[in-house]
Amino acid sequence: MKKTKNTISILLLITSAFGLMADSCKKKDASANNPTLETLSVPEGFPAMAYDFTQNPLTKEGFELGRKLFYDGRLSRDGNFPCASCHQQFAAFSSFDHSFSHGFDDGFTTRNAPGLFNLAWQKEFHLDGGINHLDVQPLAPLTAPNEMAETIENIIRKLKADPDYPRMFRSAFGNDEINSQRLLRALSQFMVSVVSSQSKYDLVKKGESSFTPYEERGYTLFKAKCASCHTEPLFTDLSYRNIGLPGIPNLLDAGRMRISNDPADSMKFKVPSLRNVVLTQPYMHDGRFASIEACLQHYTSGVMDGPTVDPLVKNRIALNRSEIVDLVAFLRTLTDTVMTKNPRFADPESKPIFNPDPEQHD
Amino acid sequence: MLSFSFIKKEVDQVDTATVTIQFVTKVGEVEMVPMKSYTNSSFEDFAVSKFKYYVSNFQMNGTGFTRAKGDTYFLIDEDDARTKKIEIKIEPGNYRAIRFLLGVDSLRNVSGAQTGALDPLHGMFWTWNTGYIMAKLEGHSSASRRPFNMFEYHIGGFSGINNTLKWINLDLTQPVSLKRNDHLHIKIGVNLLEWFAGPADISIEEKSSITSPGANAKRIADNYADMFTLVEAKPNEP
Repeated sequence: MKKTKNTISILLLITSAFGLMADSCKKKDASANNPTLETLSVPEGFPAMAYDFTQNPLTKEGFELGRKLFYDGRLSRDGNFPCASCHQQFAAFSSFDHSFSHGFDDGFTTRNAPGLFNLAWQKEFHLDGGINHLDVQPLAPLTAPNEMAETIENIIRKLKADPDYPRMFRSAFGNDEINSQRLLRALSQFMVSVVSSQSKYDLVKKGESSFTPYEERGYTLFKAKCASCHTEPLFTDLSYRNIGLPGIPNLLDAGRMRISNDPADSMKFKVPSLRNVVLTQPYMHDGRFASIEACLQHYTSGVMDGPTVDPLVKNRIALNRSEIVDLVAFLRTLTDTVMTKNPRFADPESKPIFNPDPEQHD
Repeated sequence: MLSFSFIKKEVDQVDTATVTIQFVTKVGEVEMVPMKSYTNSSFEDFAVSKFKYYVSNFQMNGTGFTRAKGDTYFLIDEDDARTKKIEIKIEPGNYRAIRFLLGVDSLRNVSGAQTGALDPLHGMFWTWNTGYIMAKLEGHSSASRRPFNMFEYHIGGFSGINNTLKWINLDLTQPVSLKRNDHLHIKIGVNLLEWFAGPADISIEEKSSITSPGANAKRIADNYADMFTLVEAKPNEP
């Protein structure tokens, strides 16, 4: 018995040595030995990130793969709807000028596409918080019949047949295997890398710029009247609240209650970040307001009281006309063009000749 | 490479015993035939077209609980006979019961993208309200008022008062002593009548579809917690 055991371990040693050699040859062949680890630094004043990088270490190759996937229409059924079709970089990765985004077969989404940035700080996704991990969020738009309308099996089949993807998956994850976990983790690596922390507001905070008197007064007002929900530095406290928007016909959206089944959550939606707010119009979960001024008007005179309306807004918020001007001036300082024009986050396969700047139209 | 896998298998078995578990879907005492009509506790006919469920976190109970080796997550699919026979590895010992979770534990429901049996492409994952469908039963019944007389129960929810996770404990017919390399064969009956029958009977007429977490899903889960029975456990037979 003892002898057999020894023979086994010797054989094992020999075979594993062979195995190792074979492995390293293969790896050299692919010139993709180790993906290059990258670290995402926490901007000054930001809290710790919520995303668990131990499960999905950020690498240069993983990021590049995720970036290519984000812009690839083949992730959708008919090839027309990459993630980027509803999440446009120049609009802080929201759908510019669309209350609802377009999807497969002339479909429309049922909610306004939020901007995508600072996702590494979020634990729940979607306006109702129904998704509990960033990695599984893309499954919703990828498979929804009114969005990308594709199946995971088909996406994987298309990626495997592509001349570039098998090599890119190998570079990012060590071998050729293409599965849903790797697809989703690569997308996460791209998404968490999109950090918005270089707006004028951030520069002022660091002492590298200063507010105009309008902006300064707006900031003071903001801290007094908005910051309990739109809390710095993320400009959201990530909670769910009902701000008393009147119901609209043909759209019954119970918001957070759809997930929690709790009537106390009826009509509650996630507080959106106000970073890049001038770029993410139209506003509210259904995109009903075309301008920031219309949103502010809602708080000053439009809030309809109801059983789940937030105590902070149910009595409306007093703002006079000049205060609104000041507040809007401050909100404009939250625009981060370093992020919206960062070539690292752009479509890797096209060089835009015209980059519309929505700020000019606002 | 052939010799390598052979040796690896031998080595794995040195300190473990193997337990093979065969799941047999039944209606009462008889083996279930897909699309054949049966009668539930509300005296309604039903025929099954799809029956899938997760079993996970296998343990054997002797003096205490011993966890099976490695990750034990299995998706049992009535349509695919290969999935209905599973194998786990356990450390040698004296055991008198087997225990497993019907469903996918909460940790794996909140840990992002998974692989293998837990890959979301198996159609047992809710994309809009993160979580696994723990068990799925679909079919037809004349009691259903839906198109094609369909009924559809997708049961899930891993937290809070409507948690559908169920630990299943099954005593072996007699205690077994497993030494290394021993092989225990277990056959488990899965009685679909229990899906509909109490604590709170579900009538197809009253509720022909449940496709999200909540109180109704919990009702079914409380019912189906009783659907497993140990048919036999035979040690050391090939």
